[in-house]
Amino acid sequence: MRLGMFFREALRSIRANAAISVAATVTALIAVFILGAFIPSFMYVRSAVDAQTAKVDVDVYIADTATVSQVNSLREKLDGLRTDGTVAAVTYVSKEDALRIMKERLRDPSVLDELPSNPLPAKFNVKPTEAENADVIVAAVKDDPALDPTEGIVYPETTADRLLTAAKFVQWAGFILIGILLLAAVLLIGNTIRLSIFARRREVEVMRLVGATNWFIRWPFMIEGVICGLVGAVVAVAMLWGIKVGVVDAWAAGADSALTKTGSAAGTIAFPLLMIVLVGAGALLGAIGSGITLRRFLKV
Amino acid sequence: MSDGQDTGRPEFTLVQVADTPSSEEEMAPMFTAPVTDGKRHKNDIFRPGPGPMVEFRGVTKTYDGGARGLNGVSLRIGTGEFVFLVGPSGSGKSTFIRLIIRELRATTGEVVVGGRDLATLRRSKVPYLRRAIGCVFQDFRLLPDRTAAENVAYALQVTGHSQKEVRRRVPEILSLVGLDGKFDRLPRELSGGEQQRVSIARALVNHPRLLIADEPTGNLDPETSLGIMDLLLRINRTGTTVLVATHDQHTVDRMQMRVIALDEGRVVRDEESAGYHDETGEVLA
Repeated sequence: MRLGMFFREALRSIRANAAISVAATVTALIAVFILGAFIPSFMYVRSAVDAQTAKVDVDVYIADTATVSQVNSLREKLDGLRTDGTVAAVTYVSKEDALRIMKERLRDPSVLDELPSNPLPAKFNVKPTEAENADVIVAAVKDDPALDPTEGIVYPETTADRLLTAAKFVQWAGFILIGILLLAAVLLIGNTIRLSIFARRREVEVMRLVGATNWFIRWPFMIEGVICGLVGAVVAVAMLWGIKVGVVDAWAAGADSALTKTGSAAGTIAFPLLMIVLVGAGALLGAIGSGITLRRFLKV
Repeated sequence: MSDGQDTGRPEFTLVQVADTPSSEEEMAPMFTAPVTDGKRHKNDIFRPGPGPMVEFRGVTKTYDGGARGLNGVSLRIGTGEFVFLVGPSGSGKSTFIRLIIRELRATTGEVVVGGRDLATLRRSKVPYLRRAIGCVFQDFRLLPDRTAAENVAYALQVTGHSQKEVRRRVPEILSLVGLDGKFDRLPRELSGGEQQRVSIARALVNHPRLLIADEPTGNLDPETSLGIMDLLLRINRTGTTVLVATHDQHTVDRMQMRVIALDEGRVVRDEESAGYHDETGEVLA
C-alpha cells in the first residue's frame, strides 16, 4: 500500500517535471547504449585473443641419435610438468607420423617420394595450459640430451608474447572504459535528479515540515530515478537489437564462410543475457544516481 | 488545560457543528477535549508530565557569520497557553520558532519542548518532533500542484495513516476550518485567507499539541486576519498550545493574550493579557 503511494508520487513527479525526466531518461539511454555496444565488442576481441593464445604450443624435436632411455626421460620430464598443471597435453609424433602429416599438407605429396630417407625428426607436441607457461616448458627441457641439435625447441615466441600483451591490454582498457562510463552515467543521472529535487525543493521543505522521515522523502525520488533508468535502458536495448539484426547479423552472415575457414573460435555474449545485464544496469544507474544525490541533499 | 496532556498523546475528536459559527462563543464546542487510550505512541517523543510545553533556558543562537539570532533568552510557555510573539523584523522571532522545530540548534542554553531537551534529540527523531508540532506560515507553503484535500492528505500520508483514515479525516478537518465545498480547489484557485485555512488544516490534522504560526496573517486583509485568529483561538480552546509570531498590531490589541516582545534577540517584555505595545506606548515594531 505504501509502495503504491510512493509509486504514485514518483509518477506525479515525472509528469510535473517532464523536461527533467526526459533528460534523465536520455542520459540513461546513452549510457546504456554505449555500454551495450561496448560489452559485446570487448568480449569478442577478448575471445578472439583467447582463441589465438590457445593455439600456442611448443614442439620439442628429438634427435635421431637419441636413445630410447633418453627419449623416455624427456617424456617423463614433460609428464611431470603436466602433473603440476603447466602442461595440458603431450603428444608424441614419430618420424613416420611427421612424414604422413607433411604429406597431407602438401598439394603434391609425390615430391616426398623422391627422398632417400625420412628427414623429419620425431617430436613431442606440448600444449601449455596457459600461453605464458611456454617459457617454463622451454626452460625445463632446453638442455636435454635428447633434443635435436638443429631443430631444438620451436614455439612462436614473439606471437605468444604479443598476443599476451594484447590480451592484457584489451582486458584492462575494457575494465577502465566501462568504469569511466558507469561513473559518468551515475553522475549525470545524479545531477538530473538533483535538478528534479531543486525544482521541488519547496515540496521537500513542506515534506520535512509536516514530519516526513528522510526515507519517506527519498523513496519517490529513488523510484523516479529507477523508472528513468529502466525506460532509458529498454529504449537502448531496442536500438541495439535493431542494429544487431539489421547490421551485425547481416554482416556476419556474409562473412560466415570466411570465419569458419579460419576456424575462429571467437564468440561474444548472448543477446538475451546482454539485455538482462543492460536493463539491470539502467535500473541500478538510476537508483545509485538518485541515492547519492539524495544523501547529500537530505543531510542537515 | 485538558485531561489529555498528562497521560500521553491526546486524540482529539473533531465534531462539526451544523452551521458556520457566527461568534466566538459558538465556535468553541467545535473541538472536544482530547481523549487518550492511556498508551503512548511509540514515536511520540513528548514526555508526559505537567511541565511547560516550551522552555528556553539561557538560549543564545549565534549564526555562522557571527550575527546573534537570540541572546540569553529564558522563558516558559505553559501547556494550553495562547502566546503572541511580537517584535520588529530581525528581533529573533524566526530564530525562536526555528529553534523549537529544531531547524536550528541553540549555540548555548537549553531548548526543551514537550519535556524533551532538543540538544539530545537524535536526528532520526526530528521528524517525530515535527509531527507533534503544527506549523503555519505567512506564505502558506502549500504544494501548488495539489488540491486543498490532497495537501491535507499529504500530512496524514507522511505519518503513515491508511487511505481509509485519510478519506475520513481530510473532509472532516477541512469542514472544520470552514472550507466546505472547496476540497478540490488548487491553491491558486483559493483566496489568501482560504489558503491559510488549508495550511492550518494541514497543521492540525495530525493533532499537534503545539501549533506555531509565523506571521499567519501577514499576507491577509484585516477582516480575513480576524477570521484566521478566531480559528487559532478555537484550536487553543481544545487544549492545544498556540504560539503566534506576528506584526499584526490590531489583532494583538484586540485579543489581549500573553505577549512576549523580542528586540535584538532579547525578551524586552513578557506580559499577560496585553496589547502590541507596552503601557508607555513605546513603539516596538
